[in-house]
Amino acid sequence: MFDRITLVRRQDVPWTARTATFLGGLGFGIALSCLLLVAAGVPTESLIDELVVQVFLSSDGLAQTVTAAAPLILVGLCSALATRVRFWNIGIEGQLWLGAIAAAAVGILDIGPEAIRVWLMMLAALAAGALWILPPLVLKSRFGVSETVLTLLLSNVGFLCVQHLLFGAWKDPNNGFPVSPQMGPAEQLARFGWGNVGMGTALALTIAVLAYVFIDRSRIGLQARAIGLNPTTARAAGLPVTATVALMVLLSGALAGLAGGVIVAGTEFRLTQYLGNNYTFSGITIGFLARTHPLGVIVAAFGVAGMFTAGSSLKVFYGLSDAVVVLIQGIVLMSLLSAQFFSTYRLSVARRGVA
Amino acid sequence: MSIGRPRPALSLKGIDKAFGDRKVLDGAHFTVRWGEVHALLGENGAGKSTIMNVATGVYAADAGTIEVDEQDFPLRGPADAARAGIGMVHQHYRLVGRFTVAENMLLAAGTQVPGIATLRQAGAAIEAKGREVGLAVDASARIDTLSVAERQRVEILKVLILGARIVILDEPTAVLTDAESRAMLEFVRRLAAAGTAVVLITHKLREVLEHADRVTVMRQGKTVLADATTAGLDTGELARLMVGERTPPPPRAAIAPGPTRLRLEGFSVRRPDGTPGIEGIDIELRAGEILGIAGVGGNGQQPLADGLIGLAETAAGRLSIDGIDLSAAPVAARRRAGLRIIPSDRFASGLVGDLSIAENLCLTALSSPALNRGFLLRPGAMRRRAAEAIERFAIAGAAPGRVSRLLSGGNAQKLILAREIDDHLSVLVAHSPTRGLDVKACDFVHDTIRASAARGAACLLISEDLEEILTLSTRIAVICAGRITGELSMREADAERIGRLMMGHV
Repeated sequence: MFDRITLVRRQDVPWTARTATFLGGLGFGIALSCLLLVAAGVPTESLIDELVVQVFLSSDGLAQTVTAAAPLILVGLCSALATRVRFWNIGIEGQLWLGAIAAAAVGILDIGPEAIRVWLMMLAALAAGALWILPPLVLKSRFGVSETVLTLLLSNVGFLCVQHLLFGAWKDPNNGFPVSPQMGPAEQLARFGWGNVGMGTALALTIAVLAYVFIDRSRIGLQARAIGLNPTTARAAGLPVTATVALMVLLSGALAGLAGGVIVAGTEFRLTQYLGNNYTFSGITIGFLARTHPLGVIVAAFGVAGMFTAGSSLKVFYGLSDAVVVLIQGIVLMSLLSAQFFSTYRLSVARRGVA
Repeated sequence: MSIGRPRPALSLKGIDKAFGDRKVLDGAHFTVRWGEVHALLGENGAGKSTIMNVATGVYAADAGTIEVDEQDFPLRGPADAARAGIGMVHQHYRLVGRFTVAENMLLAAGTQVPGIATLRQAGAAIEAKGREVGLAVDASARIDTLSVAERQRVEILKVLILGARIVILDEPTAVLTDAESRAMLEFVRRLAAAGTAVVLITHKLREVLEHADRVTVMRQGKTVLADATTAGLDTGELARLMVGERTPPPPRAAIAPGPTRLRLEGFSVRRPDGTPGIEGIDIELRAGEILGIAGVGGNGQQPLADGLIGLAETAAGRLSIDGIDLSAAPVAARRRAGLRIIPSDRFASGLVGDLSIAENLCLTALSSPALNRGFLLRPGAMRRRAAEAIERFAIAGAAPGRVSRLLSGGNAQKLILAREIDDHLSVLVAHSPTRGLDVKACDFVHDTIRASAARGAACLLISEDLEEILTLSTRIAVICAGRITGELSMREADAERIGRLMMGHV
């Protein structure tokens, strides 16, 4: 009987169908995640409390979520910008590690006057991130080497650089742990007196809005969209394809680097071996959920940040592992992807007797 | 050869086939007999491949009957055709490059062929068949190490082992050298002598006359010459049948050609795979002229268009517009010099389907000061420009903010015309500008091209549709195998002459 069911691609997807499938997928993913949490020992009655109240409605929880959102917005934008020009940046963590190293270096080596030191750290982070994505960019545009593999492998190289420093030159002299010395007060982003919420979040939000204006309203943004959607037409129309792709990709790397700087100067106050974990996956998830729209990135980043907050409390109270957060992200993403299929295609059942 | 005609092996009668509302076959018929080589001749789009796809069960005909061995044979799919012993060797071989010959044989045989169940048996079978019919192959060789001619042998042997008694070869010599072609055609003769019915789809008139027993000619979905013996035919007559008796084009007011706008000297461009696309093309095109480039598809039309616009690098020679050398210039510089293009595939290289109509319309003018204010674009100015173009070109179903993907073919083409035909137009390259359009849209496109020529543009019309070339051009050049084989004035242009040049008979 299944041979009579065919898939028909929808010509024009109405926004209602798109919204409905999105919400459906999201709901399905969350429901599945809840089942998983219950199976892992979280009592059913405390699910709402753990997943909603503690994350978004309590002051402490919300502060934690907002803080976590800052680097997530940045890596989400990083993924969105590269995806716009069909450059698959799978090495977000690598650029983030380099950004963190650069920011920490400015702090540890006391470079520049204290009044602007933290902003020098941010600039260094931006530059380091862009530098780390430069080799894949050049190799791809000159020789057609796969950027997926290059960025991914450079991620590991970035992490090894961090380890090299933390087990060597930057080992904390006070206790010998593999973490860098703490950043001084001039090397920390200003806080607003609500948890760790501070300039990092403000910076990320501002950049997201600027990115929106850039992509949606500027000439280069329109060029980038045209290139991403149809490179052949873009070339035939005489658009500066190589330059536009290079700019978008370098911005992407710079934003990942900045995320590293924001973590070092805004929440961790030192370079550690763990501060960059899982940001590649989160960045791609956020970029995808937002359909590469910069304002959507803000919303999606808050959602994922909420999962981080929930995850940390689940870890403490129910002894669940860190992996649960990644697992839930994965489940929600897969549900949304599957749901998207139904907004693109329509099931059609052939009538009997018609071949 | 016996005096009595051999009995028909496969017969298709009154075949109709339409894709959407485009009729591709219109009461076409075709018969091949046992033990003969039967050539099927026609231009691109004449319906040759379509009717053979009907015969092999790939397409279901809308109307008509199919007979095998003079028995009604309802075809429900390729499996039925295979059971009836109909096998086709496609132009693009269906072989897995990283598998060996034997592995490909086993893959094709599946569980259908008795005696072939293991790799060893598959290899033995294909080598034995090769010895039997005189096409030697090495069963252990990997496909991607073989030459095109060797791959073709594998493909033919595969079809024979699968039990084909009626073998259809789709342009088997198109990719072969002269010596390989001769060997292939001799093999085809041997195959027929052993009783097989062979259908030879081809463009090459000499092949037909020298190697086929009978010939069927198709034109525009109809059979115009059926089952004729090749004895007594000549290439001129075949060319005329293929191309048809064209009505002379309506007389046009003679436009005195203006200054030279486009000049190509020894212009050569390679295909993306590095093989030669066009070689040593010389063209001089003046303002007000429409030069039609006629030719069978795949003879260099795409490399010519790509090379002109700048999507493919100039491999040799010179290209200049209004006296400025642009041989090495990028697309943007050529556009600044006044080069515009109507591409053959609207949504592949003309429009960005998911951008709005306004955005598509402004795509080539994004750096114009009228559209920018500082760092930002002026959406209002873009919308106004689009609204004006929509009205001027009467683009139906369009609004500035609507995505262009939703436009019909004719209206999408109007959008491209609205963008490309602007005040700076100097040289217009129109590549199959009416492909897939209905009559009304077609006329609109033709009128627009004529009007731009009248206003002083130099137009290059690259088209596989001879009808279009004859109605629109002021001069004709014929392209074959990447070279211009001849240039004709409209007075000299008749179907037979063009047909012969298209086949490379200078």
